[in-house]
Amino acid sequence: MTKWLIPALTASVLLGGCASVPRGSIPVVESGSSASEQQQGSVGGYGATPSPRQSQPQDSGVVVMVPGAGGSSAPIQTFPAPSAPIIGSQGSEPLSTDSGGFGAYGASAPVMPNGIPSSGGLSADEQLDGPVLALLTTAQQQQGSGDLNGAASSLERAQRIAPREPQVLFRLAEVRLAQGDAAQAEQFARRGLSYASGRPALQASLWNLIAQARERQGDPAGAAQARERARVNL
Amino acid sequence: MRPWLGWAFKLSLVGLVVLAGFAVYLDAVVQEKFSGKRWTVPAKVYARPLELFVGQKLAKTDFLKELDALGYRRESAGSGPGGVSVAGNNLELHTRGFQFYESSEPSQRVRVRFSGDYVAGLSQANGGNLAVARLEPLLIGGLYPAHQEDRVLIKLEQVPPYLVETLVAVEDREFFNHFGVSPKSIARAVWVNATAGQLRQGGSTLTQQLVKNFYLTNERSLTRKAVEAMMAVLLELHYDKKDILEAYLNEVFLGQDGRRAVHGFGLASQYFFSQPLSELKLEQVALLVGMVKGPTYYNPRRNPERALERRNLVLDVLAEQGVVTPEEANTAKQKPLGVSSRGSMADSSFPAFIDLVKRQLREDYREADLTEEGLRIFTSFDPIIQLKAESALADSLKRLSGRKGVDQVEAGMVVSNPETGEVQALIGSRQPRFAGFNRALDAVRPIGSLIKPAIYLTALERPSQYTLTSLLEDQPFSIKGQDGQVWRPQNYDRKAHGTIYLYQGLVNSYNLSTAKLGLELGVPNVLKTLERLGVERKWPAYPSMLLGAGALTPLEVADMYQTLANGGFNTPLRGIRSVLTAEGEPLKRYPYQIQQRFDAGAIYLLQNAMQRTMHEGTGRSVYSQLPRSLALAGKTGTSNDSRDSWFAGFSQDLLAVVWLGRDDNGPTPLTGASGALQVWTEFMRKADPLPLDMPLPDNVVQAWVDANSGRGSDPSCPNAVQMPYIRGSEPVPGIACGIQAPVDSVMDWVRGWLD
Repeated sequence: MTKWLIPALTASVLLGGCASVPRGSIPVVESGSSASEQQQGSVGGYGATPSPRQSQPQDSGVVVMVPGAGGSSAPIQTFPAPSAPIIGSQGSEPLSTDSGGFGAYGASAPVMPNGIPSSGGLSADEQLDGPVLALLTTAQQQQGSGDLNGAASSLERAQRIAPREPQVLFRLAEVRLAQGDAAQAEQFARRGLSYASGRPALQASLWNLIAQARERQGDPAGAAQARERARVNL
Repeated sequence: MRPWLGWAFKLSLVGLVVLAGFAVYLDAVVQEKFSGKRWTVPAKVYARPLELFVGQKLAKTDFLKELDALGYRRESAGSGPGGVSVAGNNLELHTRGFQFYESSEPSQRVRVRFSGDYVAGLSQANGGNLAVARLEPLLIGGLYPAHQEDRVLIKLEQVPPYLVETLVAVEDREFFNHFGVSPKSIARAVWVNATAGQLRQGGSTLTQQLVKNFYLTNERSLTRKAVEAMMAVLLELHYDKKDILEAYLNEVFLGQDGRRAVHGFGLASQYFFSQPLSELKLEQVALLVGMVKGPTYYNPRRNPERALERRNLVLDVLAEQGVVTPEEANTAKQKPLGVSSRGSMADSSFPAFIDLVKRQLREDYREADLTEEGLRIFTSFDPIIQLKAESALADSLKRLSGRKGVDQVEAGMVVSNPETGEVQALIGSRQPRFAGFNRALDAVRPIGSLIKPAIYLTALERPSQYTLTSLLEDQPFSIKGQDGQVWRPQNYDRKAHGTIYLYQGLVNSYNLSTAKLGLELGVPNVLKTLERLGVERKWPAYPSMLLGAGALTPLEVADMYQTLANGGFNTPLRGIRSVLTAEGEPLKRYPYQIQQRFDAGAIYLLQNAMQRTMHEGTGRSVYSQLPRSLALAGKTGTSNDSRDSWFAGFSQDLLAVVWLGRDDNGPTPLTGASGALQVWTEFMRKADPLPLDMPLPDNVVQAWVDANSGRGSDPSCPNAVQMPYIRGSEPVPGIACGIQAPVDSVMDWVRGWLD
């Protein structure tokens, strides 16, 4: 059991009294405004597609709920209080922590199939399982010898094996940046961030990479903002 | 008398000169073709290589199916590349090695251990560490020029033992001694034919046969025979036996596969045995050599008895000639033909996917480059998933066939991986083996309710205005369009559902509340969302667009839903990974590209609603087949009069779009739920995907709300349910309800699960 899991587990037990901890449902409470950050970042990309507009206002504290007088004609499916919430019954519940039956993460498979590091002596940021580590090493060597296409290709191979491993996306972003594709570098770093919850060091590295990518794209303000995020995360 | 002789002498001198001139001409012809590029080779298209690593989700049966398709022999792995031994869940195999874009995969001996549907152990045969290994990719097709000749070029060093000896023993015993023509063989042929009283044996040498195939037409005349003999001699004059033999091995015609002509032993070995030529055994060599005499007559798939008889005759000749011992010949004669069977993965064609590959390649290459240069195209095609999709379609249509009109229904299906944007399987027809109208790419059909997620996404991007528990009115209404026509949408069940929560409009696919919401948001804004989702078609901003009057192909729908499945990151769907030259040099890469188009929070909320669609809405029949713990998201779509039956949905690692409908656009008895969803469910059951599990974005909070009122509640209260909200849009938390009797509620909860 890694350290960060303990408070999270405690919290979830307190909250739900639920028997299992859904993987990926541990919220990282951050006061920063990620929405505006993302708006900043939508500078480049591929093709001539319009840059995304994050039409998401900062409406903290505004309660938009209009309580229906007399209730609606079809209420939300209900479950009594000390039970699994609806979201739990559909989302990441009970399968992912179930060691039996379905086998996805069962005890029979010694290593997680999707690159989620298993516990060990290293900090969470440094652990990688066999195939991904091997391919990142290969990519490193290819990049070192100037074969950026080969490195990118090996990293995509790693990404197919562990699509949710942010370190792979981080390296992919680095190689894209070295190849001169700053827009894609930023996109991969942002995708990496979405999987880097609870890994502050990696988050900082990803924000720094975004800062570099934005600089290359001629967006110094965005770069400064990203650098600020990197500092906060460290 | 004298002048007669003189004239004769002069005439023959002239004749000799003419003949010499002709010989010089023939010599030029012979040399020109033989010294240049002798063959054009079509581009070869490969499936994805199967990766092996510990923790990989892969069923042993699927693995063995792929090994069979690759022509692995079930024997001891010590027997060289292409051998595999199976002992329960432990396999040992000797991979063949392959040149990929980024690196070369070595041929090595590998141990694989399976546990459940996972790879639990991987190591080198000597116990050494092995983190990851790749099998060679399955060859799934080629891009043929107009004359449709196909071959796999081989070098003399690559041929298996006995091939040359057998060929020489059967076709041309004097090959290594003659100078192009063999008077001895001709004499023997004359003798045999004369005594038999019919044409039994030809006296053609291998060189003559090569000349015939290479330079001449199939005409049978004495002049042609003479020209053939002259050219054979000239060829022998310029080139050594090794060159001629190699050319023969690559040129000889060995079968017809539909419109494709199978030339050379390299391709014939792949075509009949799914194995590389170098691995062929004595009896296989004997079969192929025996077929030279009559590739159609002795076709082992069509005429297995004849082929077997011919093979055994060849083996007898080998024993007679002392090439093998009589014991070896007898052992070989006991073996079955061993030809890969029709319908197996190895012998299947995948025309819909090859079509996709061709279209993508034509954007970058000239036709001649594709059909002549022997390019190697590496794709993301997954034969295991393709066969599961095909059988899911066939099984479902069979089950539905009781309904009137289902036999006229056609199909299109796309399967991709949302995490990589790669197309893994494609079905263009309910008979997926036949090339023809590729509905997955070309059937442009109204998408019906498949459009609804775009409307709800547009709303959820405005958290100050809309949440999943905002209230909507599901009431009849009508508006006047720009053309003066009155638009009066209706629900599928022709009923109004009153005041509902926003998410319920999507989950139950209510037309009234959804159309009203879309009008509130503005049709142009919804169309903008569609564009950001990846839809490139330009539609007029009519209200009817809100209920899916716009038409898309299944592939375009997959592109659109891919953005929803991948956390709001758009990826242009790809079928090709990379291209190598015939020599294995990297030529082009088709890199993975992504672009964030939507806030992760809005996508998270939408996925939540699309998961509820599967649990409590129009997609709920899925869980009569699949475990409820398998999180899936999706949407049904039905166009007017059930002309189109759609379903699009995804798990964590698989996205599938199914379309059913008639080519003549007539009505079908199928809705999205009763038709396409059945195929989709059957596919997911076979494919056994990973449950959908999007990480909770930073800006999303889970809040407790009262299920009846939608007001903030507390986990301790009855009717409290948890719903995700964009931070700041959640209701004010309710007060705790004190201590409830936990036993009752737990029992209720258990009952809820059992229902």
